[in-house]
Amino acid sequence: MKPTRCKVTDARELCAGVYSMWLEAPDIARRVRPGQFLNVKVSSGLDPLLRRPISVCDVERNRVRLVFRVVGRGTAQLSRARVGDELDVMGPLGRPALELRGEEVLFCGGGIGAAPLLFLARRLKQANRLEILLGARTKAELLLVKEFRALGARVAIATDDGSAGFHGMVTELAEEEAKSQKPKAKSQSAGRWLAVSGERPAVFACGPRPMLADLVKRLDPIPVWGFVEERMGCGTGICYCCALPKKGGGHVRFCEEGPVVRLNEVVL
Amino acid sequence: MNPQVIVGQAAFVNPVLAASGTFEFGLKFPSVSNRLGGVVTKAITLQPRVGNPPPRIFEFPGGILNSVGLENPGVERFCADVVPRTAKLRCRVVVNIAGFTVEEYGELAARLDSESVDALEVNVSCPNVKEGGALFGQQPQVVESITALVRKRTTKTIIVKLTANFVDPVETAKAAEAAGADGVTLINTLFGLVLDGDGRPFLGGRTGGVSGPALKPFALFCVDRVAAAVKIPIIGCGGVMDAADALDFLSAGARMVQVGTANLVNPEATLEVWAGLKAYAQKNRLSNWDQIVGRARRQS
Repeated sequence: MKPTRCKVTDARELCAGVYSMWLEAPDIARRVRPGQFLNVKVSSGLDPLLRRPISVCDVERNRVRLVFRVVGRGTAQLSRARVGDELDVMGPLGRPALELRGEEVLFCGGGIGAAPLLFLARRLKQANRLEILLGARTKAELLLVKEFRALGARVAIATDDGSAGFHGMVTELAEEEAKSQKPKAKSQSAGRWLAVSGERPAVFACGPRPMLADLVKRLDPIPVWGFVEERMGCGTGICYCCALPKKGGGHVRFCEEGPVVRLNEVVL
Repeated sequence: MNPQVIVGQAAFVNPVLAASGTFEFGLKFPSVSNRLGGVVTKAITLQPRVGNPPPRIFEFPGGILNSVGLENPGVERFCADVVPRTAKLRCRVVVNIAGFTVEEYGELAARLDSESVDALEVNVSCPNVKEGGALFGQQPQVVESITALVRKRTTKTIIVKLTANFVDPVETAKAAEAAGADGVTLINTLFGLVLDGDGRPFLGGRTGGVSGPALKPFALFCVDRVAAAVKIPIIGCGGVMDAADALDFLSAGARMVQVGTANLVNPEATLEVWAGLKAYAQKNRLSNWDQIVGRARRQS
């Protein structure tokens, strides 16, 4: 797989420290599926050396959108890219999230975690009934609410400080939502992982680790599929650096087996 | 020119290898592997290993630290599941072996002797395990015993991958040569520690191995020194990011180079290194690599 050069066609700050960037990448836009990520070189030289893995937030014709939060030197440098700049990008990488049909699908995004869920929600909306829960510390940090609403799905909001929507954690909303779901016959579940609960909605989540751990606990035994974030080396499965411990022992290499993994099976 | 390099009985079509632990088993990018001199596999141990807990990688200005901790399927599963596939690669396949006792190296060598792999790279330099690894590589007598035992148990080409952590690799390289090694790789990663800002070790394995551009001057220094002391081929490793780096290693006395950390940034890095070396050879009308191998010493 060769890295490709992609032109930045739009770059803007969505809220403090969070950036949105559209890249002209016809080949990637054609091939990428929800759940996959791009590995972006943020400098042309040797520092920072490693690429930065960023999940695809959206796709539109021959463009892909990345939404990311500045967490260190690498993402800070990336945030300074301007329209017209070219980025050295590898991808799409990682395993696509499983496709669903005829399901009730719950999305739970915390903070920047809303970003990769948008692309997934867009692809799943036609064949499934979606319920979207978005949380943030405060109203100003809520992301992509307009885009999610435009999908026609029901969107509920939670903020830690109560400045918008439910005053509390998005995981609390998710717990209530899951409890209110009517049991569904096992035979109707299309996704095989649903067999564990057999009667609940499929849940996709993305957000900080403590949020994901809290969600798994609240929804247990409903399986939660989560986008996991961890330091990555290669992004292509050759270096074994992005290991996530499995509950039964061993590790998941989530650049290859993820980044969407069944959270109930890993140690968060 | 003929770009081939011979180490022991293994003929490599060109002097560029993918370094152990940075290209898995060479199977993810077969079109890359097939155009290289060879790939060195992830280290293989007798028993399967789950490796160190995360985080396993940290980046700093100049390179990275890793603490993967030899995660691998163990030699039996490697032979059953991986070797049948690597055997189909067109390049040479070098299996990196790591033991936790001297005897384990012998067992690994014996087990792999009948497999279709081309050479063994004896890893006495892993910084990320609590026993064996770099501790063995710090003692010339232990390097000698391990090499001698491996020599006894296999007819395959033996390359010993040395450490430069708290030891003069001249001593260990001589020990490996005396015990029958066909070549030496130097250097493996250097010991490193990263703290998280609150005084806690950042890496899950507590300490790690430093690799990348920052390593190159020291690795070149080691190659230059060892080249003056042994006759067996040296495989240079440490911070090779491009063809110019590779050329420096040849000039310092290496006959081959391994590309490691650069594979994490670009899985085609090895091919770019090889393309650059080839272009250099053509431009300078080299008839063989001997014209440049070790020229740094001849010119000083």
